[in-house]
Parts: sequence; structure tokens; C-alpha cells
Amino acid sequence: MPPGVRRIAQGMAIPVGSVLFAFVVGGLLVAVTGANPLDAYQGLLCGGLGLACAQDENSALQISNSIVYTIPLIMTGVAVALPFRAGLFNIGAEGQFIAGALACTAIGVQLSTWPAFLLLPAVLIGGALAGAAWAGIAGVLKAFTGAHEVVTTIMLNYVAQWLLRFLIIGGPLQLPGGFSASSPIGAGARLPTFLPSNSTDIVFGLPASVYRVHTGIIIAVIAAAVFAVLLWRTSLGYEIRALGQSQRAARYAGVSVRRTIIVTMLIAGAFSGLAGAVQIAGVDHGLTDKYFSDTTGFDAIAVALLGLGSGVGIVFASLLFGALHSGGAVMQSDAGISSSLVLVLQALILFSIAANFLGAIMRQIPGLGQRPSAPAPTAPGAALVTDAAAPVPEEGTA
Amino acid sequence: MTAIDQILHLLLTANLWQATLAAAVLLLLPALGGVISERSGVVNIAMEGMMLTGAFFAVYADLHFQNPWIATLVAMVAGGLMALVHAVVSIRFRADQIVSGIAINIFAAGLTVFLINRLYGVQDVGHIDQSAALPTIVVPGLSGIPFIGQVLFNQNVIVYVAIVLLVLTHVVLFRTRLGLRIRSVGEHPQAADTAGINVFALRYGAVITSGLLSGLAGAFLAIGVSNTFVPNMTDGRGYIALAAMIFGKWTPLGAFIACIIFGLGEAIYSNNSIIQASPYLLSMLPYILTLVVIAGLIGRSIPPAADGLPYVPGSE
Repeated sequence: MPPGVRRIAQGMAIPVGSVLFAFVVGGLLVAVTGANPLDAYQGLLCGGLGLACAQDENSALQISNSIVYTIPLIMTGVAVALPFRAGLFNIGAEGQFIAGALACTAIGVQLSTWPAFLLLPAVLIGGALAGAAWAGIAGVLKAFTGAHEVVTTIMLNYVAQWLLRFLIIGGPLQLPGGFSASSPIGAGARLPTFLPSNSTDIVFGLPASVYRVHTGIIIAVIAAAVFAVLLWRTSLGYEIRALGQSQRAARYAGVSVRRTIIVTMLIAGAFSGLAGAVQIAGVDHGLTDKYFSDTTGFDAIAVALLGLGSGVGIVFASLLFGALHSGGAVMQSDAGISSSLVLVLQALILFSIAANFLGAIMRQIPGLGQRPSAPAPTAPGAALVTDAAAPVPEEGTA
Repeated sequence: MTAIDQILHLLLTANLWQATLAAAVLLLLPALGGVISERSGVVNIAMEGMMLTGAFFAVYADLHFQNPWIATLVAMVAGGLMALVHAVVSIRFRADQIVSGIAINIFAAGLTVFLINRLYGVQDVGHIDQSAALPTIVVPGLSGIPFIGQVLFNQNVIVYVAIVLLVLTHVVLFRTRLGLRIRSVGEHPQAADTAGINVFALRYGAVITSGLLSGLAGAFLAIGVSNTFVPNMTDGRGYIALAAMIFGKWTPLGAFIACIIFGLGEAIYSNNSIIQASPYLLSMLPYILTLVVIAGLIGRSIPPAADGLPYVPGSE
């Protein structure tokens, strides 16, 4: 094999192996409970990729749905992957996502009469800023008091969730009339869909309005590209990576540790907040109770780990989880197997990547074990204590 | 009466403190599990998932056996098995313990709903009989004491068990050789290993104990406080327990005080209509208080030195 191909193959081994592991164990679970795993996976395949549908589902619609789920995952995936590189574990993408959705809705409702060329940027930037602020709290606490970001972001996730409930259940954002929902955002705050949402033209056998794929995909792909460029082509990216390698070494290399921690969290939060804003502006056009059980920011952890922290990897991992998410619904209706199997698969993928089961198995097989293994995703969580006990010393004081 | 008078009056009612103690115990059990696990050096944010699994299997077993004691045992075993997964992945495979914890929580949320679907189809799980619920025990004589009798001696059986476990955990961790070893493994595993202490065995034991305690809390929630299982019924309690553990600076008694504070908040807004503030705003308080505490504004909260670091024999 040419070295390039071999390198890519080795890099793909862990993610592909982890996904296979999850599908095998998940299939066993389905079989043990008396159902046919092939039926389940046929449903997933149909709902995810529009292939092998049992009930004549419309393939184009399934693919459209998968992409709709993929869009916010790319941006929240970046929001987890970027701090990973700095040795920070952002479990708070969910809270930042909610903060972005809240800000987008508040602006989109308050200024609903503004024209689109003003309002659309306003809601997207507002969402990004809200997400940045939410993550910034964790960043500042980490930098100045040493409070571990895993704990602070978990707490901030719950604060965001309760804030959401407060605002749309009897609070200031509630739709007059008593639903657990906000008023809809103004027409100018909505991201256009690729097919006109008010059209009754038949496209791929269905009215064009059912396809919800929206222009947020462009924002998402740009976000992944910005992530890659930022990380590998800018001095900030160098500082982030240096920090992830060794905080002490980074400090000696002249990196301001405090500043880099805070800036990294601000940027990560902005990506996640943007995801929330895009979801509101592109799909839901307002907050609903469905956001109470949203998991986009948690799915992002699996996306970041599976994508090996690269821009392209994050896009592919997001496509996988977007397809699984969309596929779960079809699996439930066609095969009668709860869509929550998707959560089980996701957890199994996480276990497999984190524990590197594949690597452990390879080491057991003579001949395979000698190969240099692919770089595992950084695992900053393992460093929970190294910096947690003390505030980050500013340069010069160490 | 002004609102403040009303709140003061409420604080003097035995009903409120009775509810506070029950709510606190739901948090205390997983919090104790967290303290034990993290004192041994294994970060545990998986109490939520272990508790949820326990709650599901408590109801499943109780519907099957019509016996709350067997159901509680099953719940503890279920929580313990989830913890075993966390332990194997974290200790044997040296995985990132936070990723593993997140995976446990996602796994539990998915597995319980998947099993409802497989076992009960489209129907609800079903309600357990009152006779098969974990009973409230009114202690003869003592329960007659004004105020204190109702608060302390008219509680669910699990509340008494939890108080015993609280004292036991404190004594074992700080007054016995076993506790010293658990703490030494969490502070400096290399030194402990050199002294002949089995680091792996202690960490496995501590993590599994956290699963047993979280499973017990799940049983209390599902067949003591409630009488059925609904998806995601733990509703973040495992994470509040995590907050209580940090708030309490990784000590059993500190965690208990935090649980009482958080439980009091829950009891106040669920038992009265005086306070005009939205219950959703009040629900934020445990999390905001914990943020304030870990920010070091009310005394610093420092984890055990080797918390979260996999132990590799022979390493520095």
C-alpha cells in the first residue's frame, strides 16, 4: 500500500472499528430481546440513507431528514473538538446550543419586522454570542480559579435547560395562549430551505415543502473548514495545540495559558450557539418543548471523538449520527424497535473509542500488535486533576 | 401575612422537613457512591445512568415478584452492573473516565426506553401495587415526639437505610484501615501499590459500590416515592448528586449537608404556593450554588489528587 493510503486506512481503523463494534453488540441486544437485528438495521438504513426501505418510504425525504439532523451536529461537534485539542473537555455544548437557540428566538421575535438582510445576521450572531458567553463562564472559571470545566459545563447545561423552561412555560418568551412554546420568529429571521417551503410542486414524488434541508448546511460546512484552518494554519491554533500537549511546555513557549483557555472556550461556545441559532432559524422557527429533551450537544461528544478531531472527520461523523437519528424514527415505525436503540449504539461507540477495544484486541493477535497504532483522540478528561486543584498560574509566576 | 412571614411559617412545619429529608436521601445515596468512587481515584459522573437503570429494574422486578425487597436487590445489582462496565472500561482499559461516564448515562437512557418497548410494547410500564411498594415505617413511640417524630421517625424505610449508610461511609472512609487504603489509592496509587495495597481491587470495589448505592436510590425513586417507571425519571438527580459531592468537598457529611440544602429547595417549591418565583428558576439553584462553590467563592473544593488518572503499574 502507498504510505498515504496506509496512513488513512490506519486513521480510519479506530472509528470504523468502533462503529462496527457498536452495531454488533447492539444487534446482539436486539436479538436477545427477541427481535430481528436485520429488521432493525434495515429500518435504520432506510431512514438514514433511503436504502432498502420496507414500506415504500420516500428515499429523498429520508436523506433530507438525515441532513437536517446532521447540520447542527457539525457545529456542536466542532464546539467539542476544538477544546479537546487544548486539553479541555467541553461537555457544555448542549447548554451553549440552548443559549444560542434562546438568543436567536428572543431576537427573532422582538425584531420580527426587520428585513431579512439585517435580521438573519442578527439572530445568527446573537446566537453565537450567547453560546460564547455561556461557554465563557466555564473558560473564565477554569482560567482564574481552576474550576474544572467538566463540572462547570455540566452545571451550566442544567442552568440553560431550566432557563429555557422558565422562558417558554409562563415566562416572557411564551407564546400567548398557553403552550410550552415561544412565539414564532419573524419571516426575516428564517434561513431559506433549498426547496421553497410554500410550494406544492412535486419533487421526487412529494410536495417540495416536505423537504426541510436548509441553507444552514453551508454555514455548518464553513464552520468545519474554519475549525480546520484555525487549528492548523493560525498562531491561535498552534497555541491551542501546544496547550493540549502540555500546559507547562506551552507556558515556556510563551503561550498565555489563561488567555488561550478563555479564547478557546469562547470560540467553542460560539460554534455551539450558532448551531442552536441555525436550528431555530432553519428548522423550528421558534422554541418548543422538544428542546427540553434535545441531545445535540451531547451527541457532539461522540461526533468529536469519532471524527478524530479533524474537520473532515467531524463532517463524516455528523453524517453518521444524523443518519442514525433520522433512521431511528423509521426503525421504530417499520420494525417496531424503539428509536432509543440509537442511543445505545451511540453509547457503545463512545465506550469503544474511549477504551480502544480494537487496539486491545489487536495487541492480543501476534503480528498485528507491532504496527504503530493510529493516534488516538486526545483524552483531556484523564487530566481531570492535573490542573483542577490550582488556578492556572499566569505566565511568569510559574 | 407577608410572603416572608409565610416562608418562615413554612420552615417551622414538620411536613416541609419530612419532605426535605426524603428528597435529600434521593440525592444522598448516589452522592455517597460518588464520594467513594472518586476517593478511590475513579471519576464518576455516571450516577444518573446507574440510578435510572436501577429505577427501571426495580419496577420490572417488583411487577414480576410483587416483592419490594427483591426488587430493590435487583435494582442494586442492575446499578452495580452498570458500574462494573464503567470500572472495566476505566480501570482495565484505562479509558477516559468522563467519556465512559457520559457513555453510561446515554446507554442507560437508551437501554431503559428500548427495554420498555421490548417488554411492554406500546403500553406503559404499569403501576406497582401499594402492597409491593417500599414501605413507610412509623417508629413506635419515637414518632410521637412533636415535630422531630414526624420528620425523623415517619419516613420510608430507605431513608433510615440511607442515614445508616451515611454514618457507615463516613466511619469506613475516615476511621478504618480500609478507608485509609481507599483514600491512599485515590491520592497516590503508586505509593499505595508499593505499600502492598491492591489498587485495582480497591478501585473496582469502590466503583461497584457507587453503582449499588445509585441503584438503591433508583429503587427508592421508582417503587418508594413513585409507583412506576417513566423514561428519564431520574431527571438530573444523578447530576445534582454529583454537584452535592463537589459541594461537600468529597466528604460524606459535606455531601449530606449539600443534599439537605438542595432537598430543602425542592421541598419548598413542591409543597407550597407562597413563593411567586417560577419553580424553573428555583430549579437552577443547586447548579448555580455549585458553580459558586467550585469557583472557590465559598471555600475551595479540591478533588482527590489521583482522581481521574488511570493507574498504570510501574509508571511514575
